[in-house]
Amino acid sequence: MKKDSLIYTVLVTAVAAFIFVFLLSLANSATSEKVAENQRILEARAYLTAAGIVVSEEMDVEKELKSVFPQFDSSKPYQETTLNGKQLIVAPFQGSGLWGTITGVLGMDADFSRIVGMEILSHSETPGLGGRIDEAWFKDQFKGEYAVDGIVIRKGGGKGDTDKDNGEVDGITGASRTSDSLQQIINNQIDKMKSAKGGMN
Amino acid sequence: MNGDSPSQILKENVWTNNPIFIQILGICSTLAVTNNLTNTLIMTLGVMFVAAFTNITVSLLKQVIPRKVRMIVQTLIIAFYVIIVDILLRAYLPEISKSLGPYVGLIITNCIIMGRAEAFAQSHGPIISAWDGLTSGLGYMWVLMLIAFVRELLGFGTVFGYAVLPETFTPWTIMVMAPSAFFLLGSVLWFAKAIILKKERGK
Repeated sequence: MKKDSLIYTVLVTAVAAFIFVFLLSLANSATSEKVAENQRILEARAYLTAAGIVVSEEMDVEKELKSVFPQFDSSKPYQETTLNGKQLIVAPFQGSGLWGTITGVLGMDADFSRIVGMEILSHSETPGLGGRIDEAWFKDQFKGEYAVDGIVIRKGGGKGDTDKDNGEVDGITGASRTSDSLQQIINNQIDKMKSAKGGMN
Repeated sequence: MNGDSPSQILKENVWTNNPIFIQILGICSTLAVTNNLTNTLIMTLGVMFVAAFTNITVSLLKQVIPRKVRMIVQTLIIAFYVIIVDILLRAYLPEISKSLGPYVGLIITNCIIMGRAEAFAQSHGPIISAWDGLTSGLGYMWVLMLIAFVRELLGFGTVFGYAVLPETFTPWTIMVMAPSAFFLLGSVLWFAKAIILKKERGK
């Protein structure tokens, strides 16, 4: 067959595409279990962090999740538990960031006065800029933050706000739009959790 | 290109024909990822891996692929290796994969890889092509790491996430944003060119 003939060209392209895509699907299915496990661990960690628990590397997060949330049921809009005598309500959130959907988990006191913890599950913000919402110093600011009137992610020093009573956290320097989006997402989430809880009572 | 010895290729890819400051390729990622050393390291390792394996594959298949569609097949091969890198990161380094996000996929559009496949692997054997891909990646890596070092140090006061500058240091916000990469890349270009030209004049 001539190398520049139409049939040869189409044939080679089709065969090459088939082989490479086939190998990819092999690699994908070989790792899919591992990826799914990573995802489960990530979610379990997020729920624990949102409940105010410091998750360590060695912790068996899935077991810990069962002990913290005995009635964990992912089909419910939010999870409730009592931890150290305090009633908590923890719920997953999602909303649009600058480039794509931001998902995470937010934990609140049952009286909605303070945030217990916040964890980001996934985002597609710019790495090194908006992507820094996933850094520990940023997320730690939410822990114990006063949030009766919602929270404000302000343009601050970008080093982290330590005042837990002002309802404010430092935004990400150079990523104002991601910070603004996240502020809206969190405040919407607080309202949603309030009405979900109210509706149940 | 004169001389195809491994040391000649190394010298060209890392210095005299550096993909970043001589060929000005792969600039997108130079501007984007270099405000953080860890992200830059993983990204450039990804580019090295993809460049080397793409070159091997293109070199092995060069007799089979019809000329008309060779670019499309090269793109297919590049995409294949990039997705492999993405899958591996997701399975074994989920944290890094989360923080690099869409940038891994963008390796596909890195002109260095396509450029080396077209300019080198199409006309050379697989082993020397692998070396060419690897050294091109190395040339890309050292320039990006240098820029990332300056940007992370001045932008955050940290190196690989470890604080090295005192608390009183005021971070330069501009270093976190893309424009600073333009300035730094321009400076690198200036210095490198000056040194290369001086050497040439000295001959």
